[in-house]
Amino acid sequence: MASIHLQNIVKRYGGFVGVQNMSLEIADEEFLVLLGPSGCGKTTTMRMIAGLEVPTDGKIMIGGEVMNDVDARDRDVAMVFQGYALYPNMSIYENIRFPLRMRGVPASEHDARIRQAAEMVELGAYLDRKPAALSGGQRQRAALARAVVRQPQVFLMDEPLSNLDAKLRQSMRVQIKHMQRQLKVTTVYVTHDQIEAMTLADRIVIMNKGAIQQVGTPDEIYSDPANTFVAGFIGSPPMNLIEGTAQGGRFNAPGVSAPCPSNVQGKVTLGIRPEDCRIGGDNVQGLVYGVEPTGDTTYLTVLAGTKKIEVKAARDYRSDIDVSIGITFDPARLYFFGQDGERIRGVA
Amino acid sequence: MASARKSRGESLLLRYLVLGTWALVCLLPILWFLSIGFRPRTEVITPQPIFWPTFSLDAWHLLMSDWPIAMYLRNSVIAVAGSVVIDLILAIPAAYALARYDFKGREDIGFYILSTRMMAPAIVAVPIFFLFKTLGLLDSVWALMLIYAAINLSLVTWIIRSYMLDIPKELEDAARTDGASDLRILWEIIIPACLPGIITAAVIAAIFAINEFLFTLLIASTANAYTMSVALANFTGGSDGIIYNAIALVSFIAFVPILILVILIQKHLSRGLTMGAVKG
Amino acid sequence: MPTDAPSVLAKGVAQAAPIRPTQPRRRRSPALRKAFPYLLVAPAVAYLLVITLYPGLFAIYQSLFVVKFLTWTWAGADNYTTILQDREFWAALGNTAIIGGISLCLQTAIALTLAYFAYRDPLIRGWRIVYLMPMLFMPSAVAFIWKLAFNDGRVISDLLGRLGLIEGNVDWLGSIWLSRMTLIVADVWQWTPFLFIIFVAALQGQDQEIEEAARLDGASWPKIFWNISLPMMRPVIVVAVTLRGIDITTMFTNVFVMTQGTPGGATETMSYFIYRQGFRMFNFGYASAASVLMLILTIIIAQTVVKRAFHSGKS
Repeated sequence: MASIHLQNIVKRYGGFVGVQNMSLEIADEEFLVLLGPSGCGKTTTMRMIAGLEVPTDGKIMIGGEVMNDVDARDRDVAMVFQGYALYPNMSIYENIRFPLRMRGVPASEHDARIRQAAEMVELGAYLDRKPAALSGGQRQRAALARAVVRQPQVFLMDEPLSNLDAKLRQSMRVQIKHMQRQLKVTTVYVTHDQIEAMTLADRIVIMNKGAIQQVGTPDEIYSDPANTFVAGFIGSPPMNLIEGTAQGGRFNAPGVSAPCPSNVQGKVTLGIRPEDCRIGGDNVQGLVYGVEPTGDTTYLTVLAGTKKIEVKAARDYRSDIDVSIGITFDPARLYFFGQDGERIRGVA
Repeated sequence: MASARKSRGESLLLRYLVLGTWALVCLLPILWFLSIGFRPRTEVITPQPIFWPTFSLDAWHLLMSDWPIAMYLRNSVIAVAGSVVIDLILAIPAAYALARYDFKGREDIGFYILSTRMMAPAIVAVPIFFLFKTLGLLDSVWALMLIYAAINLSLVTWIIRSYMLDIPKELEDAARTDGASDLRILWEIIIPACLPGIITAAVIAAIFAINEFLFTLLIASTANAYTMSVALANFTGGSDGIIYNAIALVSFIAFVPILILVILIQKHLSRGLTMGAVKG
Repeated sequence: MPTDAPSVLAKGVAQAAPIRPTQPRRRRSPALRKAFPYLLVAPAVAYLLVITLYPGLFAIYQSLFVVKFLTWTWAGADNYTTILQDREFWAALGNTAIIGGISLCLQTAIALTLAYFAYRDPLIRGWRIVYLMPMLFMPSAVAFIWKLAFNDGRVISDLLGRLGLIEGNVDWLGSIWLSRMTLIVADVWQWTPFLFIIFVAALQGQDQEIEEAARLDGASWPKIFWNISLPMMRPVIVVAVTLRGIDITTMFTNVFVMTQGTPGGATETMSYFIYRQGFRMFNFGYASAASVLMLILTIIIAQTVVKRAFHSGKS
């Protein structure tokens, strides 16, 4: 199919910078997820790839061809939208057929292609219905069929699952991933949901304020965050970030004390994931602030000084509040970040 | 609890008293006027009003024999329908641009279109009269058609624009990535999606066109181009005085189709009447 | 919803040959992209310019002449100096304001009252159709209804007489205020529904939860209406009343049919003044001067009141 190259892309709206100087290579057949909070520029980036927005500066290439001033309709990309964007006046059949008609596919091929695409998303029985007569999940599958039917070079998906309820999201997620592997089409997927990003992506691009924060596989993003933004954004509950001072191989903050590499000095931030904390010990001396059993696990919040630290405890852990408690950090899983928020890697 | 219920009962009585009174205020003159249409002329204008009518088809016979009412009706229909078609052809692309494209001067152009609605017909009456005189269009249904179209163009544009604003932008983006051109998107996606708005605009424009009086009076100065509205005014015909029973009958002939049209678009009426500013 | 959770996917599309664009990719020039929206609005704007700008310029030009049949004699600003001293012109302006103002206030008050009582009523659909009817008659027909009722048929005099309120016939056209009142009655009767329909829609569109919360707090319906519903629908009221007000200032048909300006010009509106000067007295230059002055007034109103009304009317 096609690889995508973004070269120094900039998008400005008047004085506001939507995307700043972004460069990215997306390999052929890759499933790439753009992840970030709302307003971080991820959707704008996708819309520029689609041709729905024109970059202020920089180059967009699809399959090695510069696409900057090629119309969206000629880019051979298919897009799936958050609101499904099914044409309300057309039946599902006509909806799926629309791109075939627009692209001048011979009419004799239409029916077979439409039925294949509909079968693929298991909507064969609903082809005569209008979009309004379908449930949310069915509508989103119809939108997928419409994207699939013409075998585009690139799939673009803009938060396709965020209008669905949690249960449906999970099943649709699997379906989308399966379909992408089966069709081997380069896919760019925008979401603010980290679970979707982790489960779907070959690689994740984390964005904030119009700039890339980190690019990596889900594993890299999770266990090797590049800065405090990524560390605090990924994980549920996210990584504890504790501000303090490091001196002579020791990190100190109110109620917190932990070892640190010798090259970590001065005002720094310590990061530790809730699952890398254990109850007992003395890295943290604090009080129990709250206990939240969720069934398969229990989250414990400890107040150390004025800082609340999340700890993942055993499922049967229970405690009253305001009880003194100590916490131990897994020393191999400590992260340190400088004052600029960037990771300080320990000297081996 | 008891007192709350009591006050509720009282307010209900007051409510139906008020609503019922106004219903009578609306209906009584209409029913009375309808009865005028089926009375002999001698009964209409008398020193003392006669409240128990004698049934008569005088007015009906008069319309059928002396007045080319069919022609007036035809003139009205041609001028009104034609003007609505012109309006839609001009307004739909304009509304699309105003609703969907970001371009310099959009606000000003939109407000200019809106403001033409504010212009009193009397202001432009004299120049338009001379313009059509020069063009040789006086006394013609075509002139009326052009005038009606101009009067309603702002209204139609703004109503359709309002409905287009409601269509999710995603729909267009989807169509664009599916390979459709701008005009195709307008034709295949936007127009079907805002059809209720287009119909509302067309109906309201038609009603205003049927109602238009001043220009029709000035431009249609001979019986060849009379529409229903002006024909009415001309039943004040000369030595016979005002022929009220014929006027009443003609009024109701025009009233029925308008009533049907309005019932069809009832849900959209308030939005249409405010040019889209109020969503009903 | 079992249909929402497919388990296995059918194979198939993967084998289908991909579709590649047949024609070369279109590269759209930035110039065309920029011009496109202007091209879309151009026909409508051009049409409106012909019908408004041309007459405006024509009126300005013609207002500088004395026009007698086909001869135009240059008059400079004479028409304007005359008109600004013409008591009939100022009277027409005043009449328009008085008749229109009273009529608009009455309509707004009645429509609000009716809307307040009707919008929660189970019979609202019925009320709406009934109240709508007067608006669906041609304005000229309405003028005739009231002309007959007041003057020619003497029905209203008779009814009032039977109620013992008056004796004998009232000469409605004989008194300044009675004559104006007939115009106001006709206008209120026909156009109150316009406001009613819009107000009811606005009230029905309001968030019920706010009313319910106020109700739970112990507020009575009149209080809720006055303190909550009314302020919330203010932008709607402004838009509706502005639109109605504009139409009222152009009042012509009723005057033409019912009073012809009598008695002594007390019911002559601006529109009727222009009509009479132009098409009854054939003072086209003079009528144009009046048109230009009215146009200036319209533009001022449009730029101030209307622009603001429509901005606040949109959310």
